[in-house]
Amino acid sequence: MNDSILIIGGGIAGINCALNASRYGTKVYLVDDTPSIGGMMARLDKTFPTNDCSICIEAPQMYEVDNQENIEILTNTELKKVKTKPGGFEVRLVKKPLYVDEEKCTGCRACVDACPVSLADEMDGKIGGKRKLISMAFPQAVPNLVFVDSRCRSGEMRSAGACIGGCAVDCSQCRECPIALCVKACEKEGKKAITLWQAPKHMTLEVKSIVVATGIRDAAPAGDLLGYGLYGNVITGMEFERLMNAGGPTAGEIIRPWDRKHAKKIAWIQCAGRGLAQGKGVPYCSKICCMIATKQTIITKEHDPSVNATVFYNDLKAYGKGFWEFYRKAKENGVNYVRGRPYQVQEDPQSRNLIIRYEDLETGTLKFEEVELLVLSTGVVPNNRNARLAKVLDIELDHLGFFKEKDPLCAPLETTVEGIYLCGGATGPIDIAESVVQACAAGMKAVSRG
Amino acid sequence: MNDEIRIGVFVCDCGSNIAGVVNVPEVVEYAKGLEHVVLADEGRWSCSVDYLSKMQDLIRDHGLNRVVIASCTPRTHEPLFKKTVNQAGLNPYLLEFVSIREQVSWVHMREKEVATQKAKDLVRMGVAKAALLEEGDEIRLPVKTDSLIIGGGMAGMTAALNIGDQGFNAFLVEKSAVLGGILNDLETVSHDHHEASAKEVAARTASRVLSHPKIRVFTESEIESVEGYIGNYKVSVKHRAAEAKESLDISTIVVATGMKEMAPEGLFGYGKDPRVVTQRELEGLIRNWKADSGDVRLPESIQPIRNAVIINCVNSKNEKRGCCSIGCHISVKNAVALKQLGKGIDVHILYRDLSLVKEEGISLEKAKRLGVKFLRFPDDRYPEVTFTGDLLEVDLFDLLIGKEFRIPADLVVLTPAFEGDRTVDHLRGQLKVSANSDRFFQEAHVKLGPLEFPTDGIALAGCAKAPMMLKESMEAGAGAAMRVSIPMKQGHIEAEGIVADIDLSDCNQCGLCHKRCPFSAIKVDGEKNPHVIKALCKGCGLCSADCPKECISIVHYTDDQVYAQIDSALMENPENKIVGFVCHWCALGGVDMAGVSRLQYPANARLIRVMCSARVSMKMILRAFDRKAAGVLVAGCEFPTCHYITGNYAAESRVRRTKKKLEKAGVDPERLWNVWCSAADGPKFARTMKDMVKDLKLEGKGEGKARSSKLEVQS
Repeated sequence: MNDSILIIGGGIAGINCALNASRYGTKVYLVDDTPSIGGMMARLDKTFPTNDCSICIEAPQMYEVDNQENIEILTNTELKKVKTKPGGFEVRLVKKPLYVDEEKCTGCRACVDACPVSLADEMDGKIGGKRKLISMAFPQAVPNLVFVDSRCRSGEMRSAGACIGGCAVDCSQCRECPIALCVKACEKEGKKAITLWQAPKHMTLEVKSIVVATGIRDAAPAGDLLGYGLYGNVITGMEFERLMNAGGPTAGEIIRPWDRKHAKKIAWIQCAGRGLAQGKGVPYCSKICCMIATKQTIITKEHDPSVNATVFYNDLKAYGKGFWEFYRKAKENGVNYVRGRPYQVQEDPQSRNLIIRYEDLETGTLKFEEVELLVLSTGVVPNNRNARLAKVLDIELDHLGFFKEKDPLCAPLETTVEGIYLCGGATGPIDIAESVVQACAAGMKAVSRG
Repeated sequence: MNDEIRIGVFVCDCGSNIAGVVNVPEVVEYAKGLEHVVLADEGRWSCSVDYLSKMQDLIRDHGLNRVVIASCTPRTHEPLFKKTVNQAGLNPYLLEFVSIREQVSWVHMREKEVATQKAKDLVRMGVAKAALLEEGDEIRLPVKTDSLIIGGGMAGMTAALNIGDQGFNAFLVEKSAVLGGILNDLETVSHDHHEASAKEVAARTASRVLSHPKIRVFTESEIESVEGYIGNYKVSVKHRAAEAKESLDISTIVVATGMKEMAPEGLFGYGKDPRVVTQRELEGLIRNWKADSGDVRLPESIQPIRNAVIINCVNSKNEKRGCCSIGCHISVKNAVALKQLGKGIDVHILYRDLSLVKEEGISLEKAKRLGVKFLRFPDDRYPEVTFTGDLLEVDLFDLLIGKEFRIPADLVVLTPAFEGDRTVDHLRGQLKVSANSDRFFQEAHVKLGPLEFPTDGIALAGCAKAPMMLKESMEAGAGAAMRVSIPMKQGHIEAEGIVADIDLSDCNQCGLCHKRCPFSAIKVDGEKNPHVIKALCKGCGLCSADCPKECISIVHYTDDQVYAQIDSALMENPENKIVGFVCHWCALGGVDMAGVSRLQYPANARLIRVMCSARVSMKMILRAFDRKAAGVLVAGCEFPTCHYITGNYAAESRVRRTKKKLEKAGVDPERLWNVWCSAADGPKFARTMKDMVKDLKLEGKGEGKARSSKLEVQS
């Protein structure tokens, strides 16, 4: 069996695992099912408890991954089949088409400017984030490429105003599209990098070990949880993070989605949805949300000290070095921490403010608070592709959907299949530093196998 | 190298991205007229495979020995062009990168003439620097395969096993007589649904360590001295009882000194009354009680225990220190253990916040099912333990019920804070690393460098950094093994050629460089002469900018090279120009982000890239003012981020000192600006440019107008 390893997931855990393994001298295939590596961290504004800017510290690592000769990045790629062989695995993968020639595209974005259709972004939709039908994952994307929305390729976006709207031919009948504005823009630049005839590409690799680093996602609020589905000015913690981010859809302006006015009174509800009936909320403590909210209040106060910030919480999770001090800093900056359990949110139809009804745990009384913007800390959940991947890899998930370690006390990060290791959010709720530790550890196990 | 300087300038169109705004043929013609330039060429897509090979042909055919690339941004494309010129036989340090897309065409889209002029200026600055470029080399320092592990707990043993399993030599030094560390004091370890005997886990691992052919164990031993650097450490290990010393040649070090409970002396009667114990002491008692089927009672007591009260957050979450991280877990685990003795003990846990993650919630449910009662006290109102004769009582105010309670107790268990080992006081000096007042070591980077120190070759594992669970400690042990195994596997460490170089002829042995180097890369010899260990140097340039005798130069960013750029930038109309020093990492990231976002700002600034804002010396700033610059900007990473740990802090204080100096010299100090800009914050950089131009009254001064808002690029 050859000496290479496969890492599934190009977030901060996968990146660190790849960098360590490649510096060790091992060939790495780094697979991500999205068009860019970077994962969750690339979308964050700051990181707790130091308020380091997230992309500032992650992007240099992403560029390094790109420049390491023995790391092969396979984006937009999924695992299809894994066969166990003596001392390793035969892995079949499929690369979904980006409809862009990776060798030719330079990421200049002339095509993006030409595309007439802006749709709500998957992540930033509620706070006004838009994405063209041909776009780049985010400005620092690695590889620095654009990709075509597959729905546009198949002709589904005509009613949304796609530039081929008037064409009578069914898109599936055409190999190329001479009228698409993105294609024309690219040709005008002399590149011809848009390749609409791209088909899924199948690959087979032989590796000695596999590291699963599929990460976590922020939990979507179920239904109309605390007004989320009903009111424009109720957003999730991740959406707030994007609001704060200078690289986000509002260029760092903390404005509320409804009227795009700067929010002067903001509340965070911790453990939003936790403990509700199955499917309505996360049933466990996600560990990182208390510090995320604390960070967000501190940054908000830095943007504008006059903002009134309130955090409704139950048990404060300040579990790491410097975290408690971080919380104290927020309090010193005037953030109100209220031990309280909000149970209802209503919107004032005129001001679009939110009225939060809650039980004050310290006094046992029912109270209410009116805010201009409400942020729900909904917790984190496993990657939704874990179940499929577990089947392909023939390893187990726990009852929550995270990957199961064989024996966390004696052999952490190892699975029931020898040669398959875990790191980062694949194992459960986790912060960046812990992910990096696990990435190094899983990398050690992966490269020294056999 | 050939004495004649032959510079080639390659200007990229980037399709219409640059050529749509900048008149590239004009820039190429201009470049041809510059001193030392023997060739200038326009490339439609300079990064395309065909143009790269054309570039290599031109380098060879024209005997070029310096190359200036004017294109996108060095942050993404410098490695590619470095590789390209290297393949053409040119030392990669003879390449200078000029950014005319992110810094020109994308941010001055409506002012084509101004943009073209700025592109010419930037190319001229690049050529001026290129003429002074010298070859650089990647520096290699040999590293052998002997690793020292300090601490024989689970983290240290895990690291040793991982290192030994690769065939490297591991020397494991443990101060006590047995391996296993804190686990030897505990009864059980648990994680999620898994539970195991702590002693068994420790003993099983210890026996693997002791029988490992590549691991040598020193028990009852301590580190007496550490000298040297990665690949070249001399370590003296002293056996405590035998007074024997041994000197080891070591290449890498793993620090895994662990932690212990902080004795809660004087709190809740601890130390006065034997019925008040810590969690660690409780685990010892539980072990005995399990072994003995009789009554559960304290030694030398005849009274069986009926009521146990656990008090969490003792000595933690206060002004001095934060959360102990693992106390909630321990208290629930031990409460369950007390219940499972089956002696009908009443157990109360008094807590502030219950900090139990994911599956730990299940053990909480289990404890509740077994009848453990949880009472929450306010942060500022801790319970009190009263001693009346034989009677022990705990008074508390329950926050959730809003009532005062009195609970009888015959056992009070305190969940105390933790502290690092006492040997840390010595070790931090020996290794020249830092630790906090609780003796926990400070890692290199809180987020991305959790397993190492700033000094190359020293890794950090387990509870020596902060309290953590067994699983986390073992992960850190394996991870730390990875960190030190990389150079041992490679056989060397390699540093980029951008390093400090000290000219001792002018040195006055002040020692400032040695003291201020964040990476311990400057050593001082017997005569107090400083020497740079080049493989450890990261090239930030802090030492160079601070050196009072100006005898430290930084390869690729020498004083003369930067001066040449300053002079060249201010050759024409200096009174309208701003010289901006931007750090490679974040400030340039912000500049690039402004470009990508097509934020339009006035074109008065000419930016000079440095690796770190700490490289910018007072003299450089004064030089720019001396050459009549309208203003100077020093831009670095936003606090606390710095890719060289604290470079931006050094830069900030230097800017402050320079302002004073300017004032004395009769120059308005308000003309010197300082901005700390994250790599995501394009708007901040663009805003700074507008503000500076407004403040310096440069609006409409021929270098582009201050116009607001984003250009509608999508139309």
